Amino acid sequence: MTMKVPWNWLREYVDVPWEPEEAARQLTMIGLEVENLSREDLDVSQVVSARILQTCPHPGREDLRVGILDVGEKRFSVVSGAPGFREGNVVLLARPGAVLPGGRSIGVAEVGGVLSEGMAVCSNEVLLGQDPRPHEDIIVLPGDTTPGVPVQELYDLDDYVLDLDLTVNYSHCLSVLGVALEASAFSGRPLVLPEVLKSWDWAGPTGSCRPQPREQGHLSQKEEGLRRPEPFEISIELPDTDLCPRYLGKIVRHVTYGYAPLMVERRLLLAGMRPVNAIVDATNYVMLETGQPLHAFDFDKLRGGMIRARRSRQGESLRTIDGEMRLIDPGTLVIADSSGPVAIAGVMGGMETEVTPDTRNLLIESAWFDPLSVRLTSQKLRLRSEAAIRFEKGVDPTAQGAAAERAACLLAGFTGGQPQAGMAECDRIGDPSKRILFRTAEVDRSLGLSIPEEECRRIFCSLGFDVADLNCRDGEDGQMHVTVPPRRVDIKEEVDLVEEIARHHGFHRFREENLPSAVPGGPPRELAREERLKDLLSSLGGLEVVTSSLLSPGELEALGWDRDDPRGSPVTLKNPLSSYESCLRPSLLPGLLQVLGHNQKQRARGLVVWEMGRVFFPAKDNLPDSLPLEVKELALASYGIVHQGSWMGEERQSSFYYVKGLVNALLELLNVDSPIYLPRAGMPFHPGKSARIVVGSSTVGEIGEMHPESQINLGLTGLPTMAWLSLEALMGLSGERPYAAVPRFMPVERDLAVVVPEEVPAGAVLDCVRRTGRSLEDVMLFDIWRKPPVPKGAKSLAMRLIYQPRDRTLTEEELSSDRRRILEALKRDFEAKPRV
Amino acid sequence: MKDSLEALWQRARSEIKESRSIEELEGLRVRYLGKKGEVTALLKRVGALPKEERPSFGARVNALRTDLEGLLEASGKAIHESLLKERVRRESIDVTLPGLPVDPGGLHPLTKALREVLSIFYGMGFTVYESRETETDEMNFVKLNVAPGHPARDMQETLYLTDSTVLRTHTSPGQIRGMLELNGKLPVRFVVPGRVYRRDAADASHYPVFHQVEGLAIDVNVTFCHLKGVLAEFARRFFGNEAKIRLRPSYFPFTEPSAELDVSCMLCRGEGCPACKHSGWMEVAGCGMVHPNVLRNGGYDPRYVSGFAFGFGLDRVTMLKYGIDDVRILFQNDKRFLSQWRGL
Repeated sequence: MTMKVPWNWLREYVDVPWEPEEAARQLTMIGLEVENLSREDLDVSQVVSARILQTCPHPGREDLRVGILDVGEKRFSVVSGAPGFREGNVVLLARPGAVLPGGRSIGVAEVGGVLSEGMAVCSNEVLLGQDPRPHEDIIVLPGDTTPGVPVQELYDLDDYVLDLDLTVNYSHCLSVLGVALEASAFSGRPLVLPEVLKSWDWAGPTGSCRPQPREQGHLSQKEEGLRRPEPFEISIELPDTDLCPRYLGKIVRHVTYGYAPLMVERRLLLAGMRPVNAIVDATNYVMLETGQPLHAFDFDKLRGGMIRARRSRQGESLRTIDGEMRLIDPGTLVIADSSGPVAIAGVMGGMETEVTPDTRNLLIESAWFDPLSVRLTSQKLRLRSEAAIRFEKGVDPTAQGAAAERAACLLAGFTGGQPQAGMAECDRIGDPSKRILFRTAEVDRSLGLSIPEEECRRIFCSLGFDVADLNCRDGEDGQMHVTVPPRRVDIKEEVDLVEEIARHHGFHRFREENLPSAVPGGPPRELAREERLKDLLSSLGGLEVVTSSLLSPGELEALGWDRDDPRGSPVTLKNPLSSYESCLRPSLLPGLLQVLGHNQKQRARGLVVWEMGRVFFPAKDNLPDSLPLEVKELALASYGIVHQGSWMGEERQSSFYYVKGLVNALLELLNVDSPIYLPRAGMPFHPGKSARIVVGSSTVGEIGEMHPESQINLGLTGLPTMAWLSLEALMGLSGERPYAAVPRFMPVERDLAVVVPEEVPAGAVLDCVRRTGRSLEDVMLFDIWRKPPVPKGAKSLAMRLIYQPRDRTLTEEELSSDRRRILEALKRDFEAKPRV
Repeated sequence: MKDSLEALWQRARSEIKESRSIEELEGLRVRYLGKKGEVTALLKRVGALPKEERPSFGARVNALRTDLEGLLEASGKAIHESLLKERVRRESIDVTLPGLPVDPGGLHPLTKALREVLSIFYGMGFTVYESRETETDEMNFVKLNVAPGHPARDMQETLYLTDSTVLRTHTSPGQIRGMLELNGKLPVRFVVPGRVYRRDAADASHYPVFHQVEGLAIDVNVTFCHLKGVLAEFARRFFGNEAKIRLRPSYFPFTEPSAELDVSCMLCRGEGCPACKHSGWMEVAGCGMVHPNVLRNGGYDPRYVSGFAFGFGLDRVTMLKYGIDDVRILFQNDKRFLSQWRGL
């Protein structure tokens, strides 16, 4: 939540010993983060006070007058049609050459055939930098103002605004006074309250730390002497005290509609609110000042002489001040008169009872509404007004009376209205202040710094908390009862008080200390192995990618997983931001394909990537709290050129066999037994170029080229090929391979070529050779030949057999007999013939 | 016989001198000095000479033999040298031609940064606890002192799976799960790295999926000073020794007091620049002393133990460290981006 605090306004309550920049830093360091400090000096030049010496009618136009204006050293002839343009008045003159804050330059201009040397200006133009409002009069200064004084000297135009970014616990700082109190506590300077606010119970029940009263300021000049007893004409009923336990109505009679004083308008603007009219501005001003939102009803439009804060009934509706007819959900807290709702409590008022230029009498509402109720209503209606924001965070339950009085006083000044003495109120709130036991030893224990009792006491008092000693028994020093005023809704228990101490003592005063060591740190074994696996994948030439876990259903559909594949029905989100991110990935492959697609668009000639991460499957049972299954997987993908060519050799293309090579190497490095590749038919792979990867009896993953249709749909070329592996399965199968002594005897190589029918899988032949041969270390297929002299429908497989005897040198005889044995087995199993 | 010796000598010398290959030389060696060679044959004939001539003839033959042996060796050396020279000349290559391409793979910068982060915390006695990404509302909020209706729920736009299950909005539920798993054992000292989710539209500084690292330390007498020490150590080791830190009061429902860790801006070295909004500081981590309710929810008694917790965005610190200005690039996986992080 944000709060804009005009610097001069803040300084009205506390004379902090800092420049604005330093104040921003200090406030930030006690937890009121000043996100931005801006200087608000309106750039007005050549606008000065000027006395109208005489006026005469404009020769051409009835609505204008021509006046002679004196600025001391010079006189100007000026044309104006404003009502305030009268002989004897002191006004503000924009001299020729003046530039108004909105950027408008003033010169000598002809108005209806008469030259006007400059212009008499109104407040919106010169003080707020905006266009004049309809029928806005020019500024008329007090009669004793010296002519020729620049506007900057007349008004406090040089100001700063502190943009506070408040955390939710500092709702008590959603007011200029709240911020002033924090600044006063931290700087040690006294807080100075306007007279009328002194009734506000700032210091809790005993008031031992009550701030000092303030001299009357310019906004409170008319606060006194306007009270005149009159009978109440409104009754207040609170049937739903859980949502509204306190409601005060202050009646102000005989108001005249108009604009608020300039400085009020300027402050509202600086604080981020738009000036509207004197009445609304007064309520807003008090809200910004005290944090208590107020609402002004046109008293004469309320029916039945009564106000009820109650839950709405079925079918009730209200036209709100933004002109919209709103159907109110039953149970919403509304303010009603005898005819029905007149406001949605704390959120927005009704149009029918709002203040208009014809309004004569007001009812100022000052109430406490349940934070959650206001929050839900404002969310539902999507109306997040300044008032709603404050109610949502919890307003001070003791501020209502003082705020209503304050507004009444301001209204008396702004509108000439007459506040009716006392106010109608209904109050079902108990004593909301809290008494908490505080032990200084707790500060020591959790903060690691021993802060003296007096310092704690000083901090509490400066924050307006009331401190009472405990009856000391058994030498329990450093204990006290702290009574916290109700505005501090964030403080509920001792730890909250400890925080106040830490914050106001200053975080910078705590040492940096090392944790006591002697605790062995480091990764758990599984994590260490996973990290090692990432290194292996990198060493095999793949680039690691990190892709989103949120997918669009479309992306999954494009891959066309079979209906019975769990990957075809992913976990879906209840409130996705968009359908593009509405389900949880059941596979890493869609993410990798996106990566291939992106890089192909960027004209990368090829890519080898991998990702390790979690995929999600729906929970097995359907209990409301069941969580989806989270499974770690690993996936690889490649397309295009996976090994660059050069002047010495050809480039290598992505293919099923390239990825298979990667998978095999990885499994070998993980010490997993050799996998078998069982042909697999089904999406998302090319039916003729895909396989299940099986180790022992379990499927650990799949591999394949993308289905041609998906290739076309996704616009991918370059034989995009992918594989995924279950990390859990791999880690389970992966073991430590015991050290084998390096053989003392040299290996022997023999080549063997056999001709087999085309349909015989090469893998089966190699397996047979491996099983049959003795002392065989490795069998490598190095050539396949299908041309003459090999007959049609057959292929020749050329293999290199590498023998590694452990205990002796193999004789030629042993080698030949092994060759015979292998050939016999191949002949028996595959009708293989030796190729000659 | 003497004459034939001299003639043989002459012939052999000239033949050896004229020979141009090692093979030829070897032939000459066999022909003259071999077991059946001509010089050997001469020696055999010594016995047929008159007794008085034998010593001098024998000496002559031996001299011949020694001479030829020396000559053979010298010629052999010369031929070898010239052959070698010739071979070297023939084999010379253009060393400026490019080497064969090697295309190593590599780790994503987030992995690299995480490893660095973890190794720093390992050194301070932390281990890793890996927690769930899908969570119950209870774990993600309630157990962390964020009751339904708590204003802090506004701070994080949550993605829901069902009414009561969510994609975790922070790694903090890992605190509760990790504590429960330790079942009251002390000390507690682990970090929880992992993905978290928010209902945010992607822009330069937001992504609906991102990464956090959570840390938790609980023991008797763990204090705010320890928190400050651990985070300062982390900041200096991760961002460099010149990094300054400050803790600033903040608010999180699950810690109290709560603080924000600021690190002096790496771009302007604390002097103020647009990146740090002219404050000279970069917000890096949220932290604080574990709230008593959270300790209780994890099975620890706040009357006897205390602890601190912290959490920061891995993506953010990675971006700060490497000067990456748009979080989306981390998830885009452009080859030209990925290739930059393959080195040490």
